[in-house]
Amino acid sequence: MSKLLEIRGLRARIANGREVLKGIDLDVAAGEVHAIMGPNGAGKSTLSSVLAGKPGYEVTGGTVRYLGQDLLAMPADERAREGVFLAFQYPVEIPGVNNMYFLRAALNAGRRQRGQAELDAQQFLKAVRERLKLLDIGDDLLRRAVNVGFSGGEKKRNEIFQMAMLEPNLAILDETDSGLDIDALRAVSDGVNRLRDPARAIVMITHYQRLLDYIVPDRVHVLADGRIVASGDKTFAAELERTGYAYLGDAA
Amino acid sequence: MLMTDDSAPFRDAFDQVLATVAEPAWLTTRRRAEMDRFALLGFPTRRQEAWRFTDLEPLIAAPPLPAPPLPAAGGGDGPAPASLAPWLLPAPTHRLVLVDGRFAPALSAGGALPTGVWLAPVAETLRRRPDMLEGAFGDGEEAFAALNAALFTDGVVLALEPGVVLETPVEIIHHTMSAAHARLHIALGAGAQATVVETAMGTGGGWGNTVGVISLGAGAVLTHLHIQAEDPAACHTAAVRAALADQARYEACALITGGRLSRRDMAVTLAGDGAQFRLHGAYLLDGEQEATLSVRADHLGLGCRTEEVVKGVLAGASHGVFLGTVAVAPGADGTDARQLNRNLLLSPQARVDTKPELEILADDVKCSHGATVGSLDEASLFYLQARGIDPETARRMLVEAFAVDAIDAAGLPDALAALARRHLRRWLDGGAS
Amino acid sequence: MSDSATANRPASNAPSAGLLEGIVQAEGYKYGFITDVETEDAPPGLNEDTVRFISAKKGEPAWLLEWRLKAFRRWQTMAPPDWAKLDIAPIDYQAASYYSAPKAASGPKSLDEVDPELLKTYEKLGIPLGERAALAGVAVDAVFDSVSVATTFKDKLADLGIIFCSFGEAVREHPELVRRYLGSVVPQGDNFFAALNSAVFSDGSFVYVPAGVRCPMELSTYFRINAAKTGQFERTLLVADRGAYVSYLEGCTAPQRDENQLHAAVVELVALEDAEIKYATVQNWYPGDENGKGGIYNFVTKRGACRGARSKISWAQVETGSAITWKYPSCLLEGEGSTGAFYSVAITNNRQQADTGTKMIHIGRDTSSTVISKGISAGRGQNTYRGQVKVLSNADGARNYTQCDSLLIGKRCGAHTVPYIDVRHPGAKVEHEATTSKISEDQMFYCQQRGLTAEDALSLIVNGFCKEVLNELPMEFAVEAQKLLAVSLEGSVG
Repeated sequence: MSKLLEIRGLRARIANGREVLKGIDLDVAAGEVHAIMGPNGAGKSTLSSVLAGKPGYEVTGGTVRYLGQDLLAMPADERAREGVFLAFQYPVEIPGVNNMYFLRAALNAGRRQRGQAELDAQQFLKAVRERLKLLDIGDDLLRRAVNVGFSGGEKKRNEIFQMAMLEPNLAILDETDSGLDIDALRAVSDGVNRLRDPARAIVMITHYQRLLDYIVPDRVHVLADGRIVASGDKTFAAELERTGYAYLGDAA
Repeated sequence: MLMTDDSAPFRDAFDQVLATVAEPAWLTTRRRAEMDRFALLGFPTRRQEAWRFTDLEPLIAAPPLPAPPLPAAGGGDGPAPASLAPWLLPAPTHRLVLVDGRFAPALSAGGALPTGVWLAPVAETLRRRPDMLEGAFGDGEEAFAALNAALFTDGVVLALEPGVVLETPVEIIHHTMSAAHARLHIALGAGAQATVVETAMGTGGGWGNTVGVISLGAGAVLTHLHIQAEDPAACHTAAVRAALADQARYEACALITGGRLSRRDMAVTLAGDGAQFRLHGAYLLDGEQEATLSVRADHLGLGCRTEEVVKGVLAGASHGVFLGTVAVAPGADGTDARQLNRNLLLSPQARVDTKPELEILADDVKCSHGATVGSLDEASLFYLQARGIDPETARRMLVEAFAVDAIDAAGLPDALAALARRHLRRWLDGGAS
Repeated sequence: MSDSATANRPASNAPSAGLLEGIVQAEGYKYGFITDVETEDAPPGLNEDTVRFISAKKGEPAWLLEWRLKAFRRWQTMAPPDWAKLDIAPIDYQAASYYSAPKAASGPKSLDEVDPELLKTYEKLGIPLGERAALAGVAVDAVFDSVSVATTFKDKLADLGIIFCSFGEAVREHPELVRRYLGSVVPQGDNFFAALNSAVFSDGSFVYVPAGVRCPMELSTYFRINAAKTGQFERTLLVADRGAYVSYLEGCTAPQRDENQLHAAVVELVALEDAEIKYATVQNWYPGDENGKGGIYNFVTKRGACRGARSKISWAQVETGSAITWKYPSCLLEGEGSTGAFYSVAITNNRQQADTGTKMIHIGRDTSSTVISKGISAGRGQNTYRGQVKVLSNADGARNYTQCDSLLIGKRCGAHTVPYIDVRHPGAKVEHEATTSKISEDQMFYCQQRGLTAEDALSLIVNGFCKEVLNELPMEFAVEAQKLLAVSLEGSVG
């Protein structure tokens, strides 16, 4: 399997603040699902923000190659159009902007970049209906403004729905399980599982083991104090469940 | 130079002040300059934007003049001590009573002051420590402030050295029967804390024209309750200027019920980073009363916060005016300012003007304002009546609930909150129609 | 920092400072061309003879000349208003020409007689005056500098008894209507600019919709200032008789010129019992260049009177152009149960200044009004909402809801909110809310993470911010307005 994402010695800090990532090494191949776990403050969300190009972070060392390109050299919107998708921990509300309109603008921006024809309204609607069915989402969400007035669960489902529409090569799910009750978690997980694809890599960032019961990863990594301190296959997660993160203090 | 003749009625009083006070030469020079300035400015007119809703006619027609000093302390025609009782904080307080703008020692009561605290009448301060007040009398462009600086006879100075916390509240009673041009100077050093209650009252339709100058050092905290309760024939004009350094906090609460005509102008400059200004207040008016509460908050520092909640209750043929300006200077990023003015009109003749303004010149800000005008909620009234409460009581309950919020939300120390609530109930018993 | 270290570049990732501060001057004002037509101009200057000249040129009856002269004499005693938050260089009212007309004798009788250069101009502006307009279902009156050059669909409208013509024609053909309503909503001496307009107005549009008639198509006027050193002073009068309905659109452009040009229009609306008028404006006068050179001074008085019971007047405006905008479309809510509305989007970029808002005067019982204002400041723009809600002592049951939101883009602009609320009746309910905020970095990043460029993201967020107002515009105008918003903000992100 080819390497989709290669992270080497990545160091980053919050702009003018402390260093949060202290040398991350990570390889993710197409078709793989990786879980990155770790205690609060370990740098999990910083990693996803830096990969997506969120303002307010400064990369102080290391490289990130994505499909052979220098990911860090690209502006955030270009990364997105090149197929990097971030499912936000806190999806942002954009009042007055219709969800469908937003999604079509995003989808067509990506298609333009790839030299594909833009979808017209009919084609777009057709694609939307297919994904809705796939993810078992009601279409009422689509008529509303982006994330405005959505419940926590609806917001997370909307993120996965966008992922289904935008068909990224690399999807980073930032604490997608947080704040979900068990039914919502199951629904979101089912959606993600349906989107597993030999051409697509998924990086899940989570604090909790329980997500991994629903989305079974190929690799599990433990992030502590800005470094990946332990990695293993899916059985490793179960081991972590028993022992907790406590021993990591020594490992790190 | 074009002079108005608005200063003419005050010339004699001015000469009398100059003749009776013994004070540094610089102050006399200052007084003359301020008198000239008042002559130049004249009383504000409704053509001036800031005064377009305020009808000064009751004052300008026959401005009360300062009475000559009382013959002896505590004697003469001063108020009987018992008459003040309902307005006072329970002990312990440092109480200073000003009768017609002059310190009345017999009515006042203080305790020992901690070290690092200066609390004294202005006249005394000018005698003993004139340096403390040098430069404190240039009062900007306002006509009333100019007149005050020209004519003032006394007032109160409270100064705290850095780090000093004055636990006992300072209580200032302005008892006005003729005309009082009093001053209030408060300067808190870095980290100092104080609580001040100012109550304006009086009899016989006088005019209190006060100027307050407040300066709060870094991290200083001033809690300032103002109760304005003159008789319904009185006039009241007050200007308060406050300057806040880094992390300083000015917690103000204003309760306005008195006077035929009253106007309170507050200008708060949040100069330091992280300074905070909170104002909670209410004007409750009846009869022919007109009151204006004008508040300008200038945000200059980074990350300053302002919260203003002002309630109005207008009965009879009264007229309430709220003028609020929140200004954010270029570069004052992180400003978070909220301003709310809510009004209840209780009678067909009552009127309210509200003008909550925003002037924003920085982009990283969160500013909002809201204003509402309405009457008592019919559904609530009916609900209370359906539970057996008579309409009058129901009405009173709802008005009280509406207004008391301004006191509760101010977060005053218990004794002050109790005093303010007592005053509110007194108004409801006597005033609400 | 090692060689391989890459900061998350401000240019791409930081909407706060770098993204919003960097200036890329893009396409700019696309209506800035000049049409080469022969015109007949009044000599510069303004005195009673100028007023007589204009009136004579238009062959007006004596009463109208007298009306103009009365206004002129009134104007001479007045001073320009100074209360708005606007920095206006002194205007030399004697330097401008007060009349400029394309030379075509007494005005075209049909489209065939219209100068082809003018038709081309309107084509370029996207305002087809010919048959293609039929497809759009919009009847158009085009005002070029001072005079109306073409009105389409007159015959079809006439079948329904609807009068839609140039103001000049209305004076000739329907003097009784003009006389009854002219100045009845905006009196001659209402304000400095209204008085000036009353003295020297040259043309404009007139609409009368008879009782019970629902106007079947959008009526539209397109204003264009072309000549140099001219002011434009058009006058619009729109009367909806009992139970009538009309929706009216107004668009404005001007060529790019270095000197400031004055536009002082007056619009009067009258709605009788159960009538409804919707009036929409997309104002895109030349705003001046990025240094504030040139641009239109847009000093406009617009007012509607809801005379009859249950009548409705709604103003919707998208103000993206002009160097200076001074404009307060207002409603006099006289009729019992009448309704007023004001929906506004105002953008100031570069050195533009806008002081705009509304007055809702509640006079009758059970009147209600809604005010939604969205102000967007970018560059060094200064944007002020100024609005008055007044409830008079007989307006039992009056209701007002006002919401003004301001959005700041960049560090050098200003957003100001100046509401005046004056209530003299306890049965009234007035609510006012205002917020000021900047473009949210989180929103920008969210959009960019989904692949939108910074400019597209900004445009999307701003359009969302304005949604409640854009919803009030007729469909074809709303699309145009969205594009204009995007164009107006060009250069505010880089």
